[in-house]
Amino acid sequence: MSDFAVGLISNIGMITFVALSAYLLLVSGSISFGQQAYFGLGAYAAGIATTLWDWPLALGLAFGALTGALGGGLVGALTRRLHGLYFAIATLAFAEMTRLALDLWRYQRPIGGELVGPDGPNGFAGIRRAFTDGWEPLSFMILIWVLLAGTMLVLILFERSRSGAALRGAGEDPVLARALGTDVARLRVNTAAAAGAIAGLGGGLYAHLNTYIEPRLFDVMLGVHALAYGIIGGLGTAFGPLIGVLIDIGILESSRLFQGWRMVVFGGLVALLLIWRPRGLLDEATVRRLRRLFTTPARHA
Amino acid sequence: MIVDIVQTLLNGLAAGAAYALLGVGFTMMFGVMRRLNLSYGATLMFGGYLGALLASRAGGALPDAALVLLAAAVTVAGATLAGLYVERLCFAPLRGRSGVAAMVSSFAVWMQIEEFSTWLLPLHTNPYPAPFNVASWQLGALTLRPEHLLTLLVAVLVAILLHRLLRASRFGLAVRTLSDSPAAAQAVGIDAGRTTLLAFLAASTVGGIGAWLVLVADQQVTPMFGMWSMAKGLIAMMLGGLGSIPGAVAGGLLLGVLEASGQALFGPQIRELIAWGALFLVLVLRPGGLFGRAAFDLDIAAHQRL
Repeated sequence: MSDFAVGLISNIGMITFVALSAYLLLVSGSISFGQQAYFGLGAYAAGIATTLWDWPLALGLAFGALTGALGGGLVGALTRRLHGLYFAIATLAFAEMTRLALDLWRYQRPIGGELVGPDGPNGFAGIRRAFTDGWEPLSFMILIWVLLAGTMLVLILFERSRSGAALRGAGEDPVLARALGTDVARLRVNTAAAAGAIAGLGGGLYAHLNTYIEPRLFDVMLGVHALAYGIIGGLGTAFGPLIGVLIDIGILESSRLFQGWRMVVFGGLVALLLIWRPRGLLDEATVRRLRRLFTTPARHA
Repeated sequence: MIVDIVQTLLNGLAAGAAYALLGVGFTMMFGVMRRLNLSYGATLMFGGYLGALLASRAGGALPDAALVLLAAAVTVAGATLAGLYVERLCFAPLRGRSGVAAMVSSFAVWMQIEEFSTWLLPLHTNPYPAPFNVASWQLGALTLRPEHLLTLLVAVLVAILLHRLLRASRFGLAVRTLSDSPAAAQAVGIDAGRTTLLAFLAASTVGGIGAWLVLVADQQVTPMFGMWSMAKGLIAMMLGGLGSIPGAVAGGLLLGVLEASGQALFGPQIRELIAWGALFLVLVLRPGGLFGRAAFDLDIAAHQRL
């Protein structure tokens, strides 16, 4: 496989983590403009763990996910009374605060004769754990996709479970959900923490693949794109976000056809698509129809 | 010491007056649509880019004063025109349907307008025509900068005109009714589509004037301006209370003073952090905003009036 293809496929995988994280919140009825914060926190935490503290890669990635979960859970708990736009803007404010705080944060140590660690706006270079441990770009790409597939599998199983149904119910009608006995506030905090963990895991992978991160990578553009991918792909299934990312990065960014006009084309397409399908390509109705297509013989048997 | 404090306050109020106009435009759009227009900043940036484009193409051929006035007209008209495009494409077709879809759609169009603007002027920094060849005035130990006076003057003028428009015209009554209660507006026969469109355009114009004030003070426009102006408008709007026009004015002034004092106390790096931190705190502690009536209580207020 060419380096370009490996890089592209790895990128699609990593961005899908943020999109999945935004999707999970969308399903629970919350719009977040701030999932990039947990992606960034996960990237910094995982990078620090493996580089400055010499933890193994797996533990570092887990630490990144945990940091994302703590950040998401904290914001979720603070904003549990907010809904709709208020929640969306609070998450945006938190994400911008995180980015600006990372711009001010220095935590460096001499390792192998040079200073390593987060250095404010100059970023955090030298996160080489994955490659000193013998990962190649190709094997790392496979690692990304195995973890992504695992995350999606967990989400799909979760959505079929009782709590998954409660989550979707709370998203569609919080008052009804409360009447049916769902603790909506608690559900929201837990969802925010889980979404933070997913983004944090993606961030850890991102830091180790690129070996360099800086605060401005985690700006609001990333978060709003993630949200857009979630809704373009469709709110009916966890495959939706992946489809959203594939459409934008896989087709538009990588093809030379739209060079320099990508955003004009993408923007126009998305606006038209959403007039036609306000809940995305794979919305709930489509997913139900597809499922019926596959289960029809069983029903008649 | 006292002079420093007064000077900081003055600088903050001048910056805040421009933020207030950005916030008022944003909050008017929200009021009539109950939707967040993410491409707001991009439409203002488009106006600014048209002004800079005019200066770069025709700068030499025009006298300075004419160029400044023409750039102002082009900027405000450009912002309004881009607003028309956004309303027709993202909000009109989705009226009464998914709010998230309209918001994401306006985000997609943000990217579109931003890329189109940078295609017009590919450089990172583009000079923007400004009327200030005059030196600052000294009033005792205070420095009065001409762009600050202009900002305060124009902002007050726009606020008075807007107040007249909303309080003393049929159109203003329709806009206020629609913001208070869409059901009541329908009951009395207000054409929601038309009123929304006109209010949206008026809001774009107010935002465009705010953007012009910022651009003449900066004397340049960069691709960051879209994001920047949306952030300032958003924070001003939310600090004052979503959907409230006096709230957005107060929020903008407060934001300007907060930023200026933060910068004076802790340096420029803290400026933005303070702005977002204040927004987060207000949302967590007092989501309806600091001042006046907020959209939070709007429905209740409207029901009481009925």
